[in-house]
Amino acid sequence: MPRGMTPRARLVLFALAGLCVLPGVMHVALHMPQFGAHPLPYGDAINAAAPGERHLTNMVSAVNFDYRGFNTLGEEFMLLCAVTGVTVLLRGQRGEGRSAEPGVTPGRPIPPRSDGVVLICHLGGPVILLFGLYVALHAMTTPGGGFQGGVIIASGALLLFLGDGYDGWHRMIRSEAMDACEGAGAALYAACGFASVLLDLPFLQDFLPLGALGDLFSGGLMLIENAGVTLAVGGGFAVVFGKFLEETRIIPEAYKP
Amino acid sequence: MSLLPSLLPWAVAAWLLGVGLYGIVTSRNFVHLIGCLSVVQSSTYVLLLSVGFRTGGIAPIFYTHPPGTPAVDPMVHALVLTDVVVGATVTALLLALILQLHKRRGTVDPEALRPMQP
Repeated sequence: MPRGMTPRARLVLFALAGLCVLPGVMHVALHMPQFGAHPLPYGDAINAAAPGERHLTNMVSAVNFDYRGFNTLGEEFMLLCAVTGVTVLLRGQRGEGRSAEPGVTPGRPIPPRSDGVVLICHLGGPVILLFGLYVALHAMTTPGGGFQGGVIIASGALLLFLGDGYDGWHRMIRSEAMDACEGAGAALYAACGFASVLLDLPFLQDFLPLGALGDLFSGGLMLIENAGVTLAVGGGFAVVFGKFLEETRIIPEAYKP
Repeated sequence: MSLLPSLLPWAVAAWLLGVGLYGIVTSRNFVHLIGCLSVVQSSTYVLLLSVGFRTGGIAPIFYTHPPGTPAVDPMVHALVLTDVVVGATVTALLLALILQLHKRRGTVDPEALRPMQP
């Protein structure tokens, strides 16, 4: 059987590689422009053009959904692939069955949930959900958007597990609905691009009325793209959370290999 | 001593990359290894945000400030924003791989892994 490299040899190799790279890193660091005084031609061009051209005040959203919207489409499908991978890896062994029996470790009892935790989760969950929607809606004006908002929404849903346990999570969060959210979000984003193509415009070119600068519903097509990202990120994270929560359960006898 | 604050961001990024790689090289537990990978990933965030920084620049949001106010680079912020979210799901994917590995082989030690036998 071929033996791998010993840890010591690997460490020596790592140190040698580090010594080889170090002079280059030092050279680059010493020849960078003064920190805080870099020329930023790309960013400055976007800062100058986007408020007038796209009628939105959040430049990060302008980059994500318009100027580099195609890049975000790629990110969307990376997200979809990673979530699909988690689902396939974790479902493979337990089939479609959902046992609600919690897994136990000998010598480690499962203490009952304290009332304080339940109260905080019941109070905090809806507030976090609302805050997530607020952040997701304000993509065009203030620091917000589907990426941040989707993660906050999914985190609010995770409080259901903390407060009401696995049963509560499964009653409230249908995994089929979350799968649909994830897929539909990515599809909605792609559909925005193809809608532009059907209208004889370049891919993802905005064709809807742009609205007034600083208005919550300015930005035209970017609003729909943002909704797609919110659905995809929120749904995707909820699917991933659900899969990991199922791992805390005992595998039903029927699915044991 | 204006050299030190100028070098600091690049030194932090290089240090994060270095300690992360050191952790990956010496790791004896795959969960720890994924933590180290996240540290390596963070070094790129430090680098990107430092490159896009401008002294005295506002955040690239022209809601209360009028358009035209000197602002930092929105490009790097957009890149980091999407990467943080996608990186989290990729970390989840790696953790799922490790769960399966632990079920199949009963170990999460990279040193204990051997090539699959037919």
